[in-house]
Amino acid sequence: MASTRDIRRRIKSVKNTRQITKAMELVAASKMKKAQAAALAGRPYAQLMADMLTALGGSVDESFHPFLAQREVKTRGILLVTTDKGLCGPLNANLFKLVTEIKSPAKFYVIGRKGAQFIARTQRSMVADFTVSDRVAFKEVKAASEFMVAQFLEGVIDTIEVIYPRFKNTLIQEPVVRPVLPLLSLKEVIAASQADSGIVRGAQSDDREMLFEPSAPQVLEALMPFFVNRYIYQLVLSAKASEHSARMVAMKTAKDNATKLVGELSLEYNKARQAAITQEILEIAASAFAA
Amino acid sequence: MALTLEIVTPEARVYSDTIDTVVIPTVDGEIGILPGHIPLLTQVEHGELRVTKGSTVLFLAVGGGFAQISGDKISVLAEHAITEEKIDEKAAEQAIHRAELAMKEAKDMDPNEFEHLQTMVRFAGTQLAIKRRRR
Repeated sequence: MASTRDIRRRIKSVKNTRQITKAMELVAASKMKKAQAAALAGRPYAQLMADMLTALGGSVDESFHPFLAQREVKTRGILLVTTDKGLCGPLNANLFKLVTEIKSPAKFYVIGRKGAQFIARTQRSMVADFTVSDRVAFKEVKAASEFMVAQFLEGVIDTIEVIYPRFKNTLIQEPVVRPVLPLLSLKEVIAASQADSGIVRGAQSDDREMLFEPSAPQVLEALMPFFVNRYIYQLVLSAKASEHSARMVAMKTAKDNATKLVGELSLEYNKARQAAITQEILEIAASAFAA
Repeated sequence: MALTLEIVTPEARVYSDTIDTVVIPTVDGEIGILPGHIPLLTQVEHGELRVTKGSTVLFLAVGGGFAQISGDKISVLAEHAITEEKIDEKAAEQAIHRAELAMKEAKDMDPNEFEHLQTMVRFAGTQLAIKRRRR
């Protein structure tokens, strides 16, 4: 049996670990709240965007915009949204599983250090990696999405897809592949956008014909990149919310485990202590008899 | 009939109220919206947005985006927007200063980055213009 001093030392170290994981859990919890609030704040925007696309949908030819045109897929462009730091359970590993399932030629664009390391380690072709702070400013994501759109228009990549941990609730984050470009048709975009914001709006209250300035195609030309930026931004927000809740859950498990371990070790310590005392009494008694 | 105006950016809903009239900066110049306007979808330019409600006039700085007018509802979708009282003159000045420095230093900077800086300068400039007119 280990000596009481060894056990005491272990209890102390496990308690320290518990302290740290508890602190990290609290930090992750508060960050999660913020991330969720940010995801919610983006909703009115998403809804308005859907409204405008609905208005446009009826009045332009869909085949005319490069984002809408279907073309042969030679190289897929994949944006992998991961975390910068670890200690968030199986979150990143689940994403990487999805990545390894991709067999067709693909170029990767990465957000988050963990993803960049993984792509480099597995020797996949990585075009660029971006960092996004915890606050997730729109401009940070915009840089990434605009870069991808430019590559898409140049023909370097033929699709834009996003692999990210979708935030379902605090306990469940599912890794998904979300195709962004080419948009199959305007209707699909609108449906996706409405599903995102969770609100389905009825027909326009005003049925007079809509006027476009300067012209419908021109407005569409400007609105499309805008829409893509916004869409990817929303996905990244969701990924951030996932990250913090995954970390919170992982840290909570770690804390609970530490508490359990402290309990077990205390029991062992008490047993060892008791055994030592009994031994001592026996020895005293034995020496008393002998005398 | 009163109009309702709603201004949202990706980060928040900046403004939402019932108003009398609004002047929106568009790519084709400023347009004034009064109740009963025809449905319209237009591109919004960097500039100042004037909201009139009763006897008060409110100024907002907006960055590029879109505006939709449908019935008595006006929705503005902008990349940036800030109400007059929230404009921090010092912060705007510093933003311009920083951006200009950065633009001078790097001649062969990523065009995206450059464009972003230009946008910042224009938006900050608009903010300053609004703030200083009052004096």
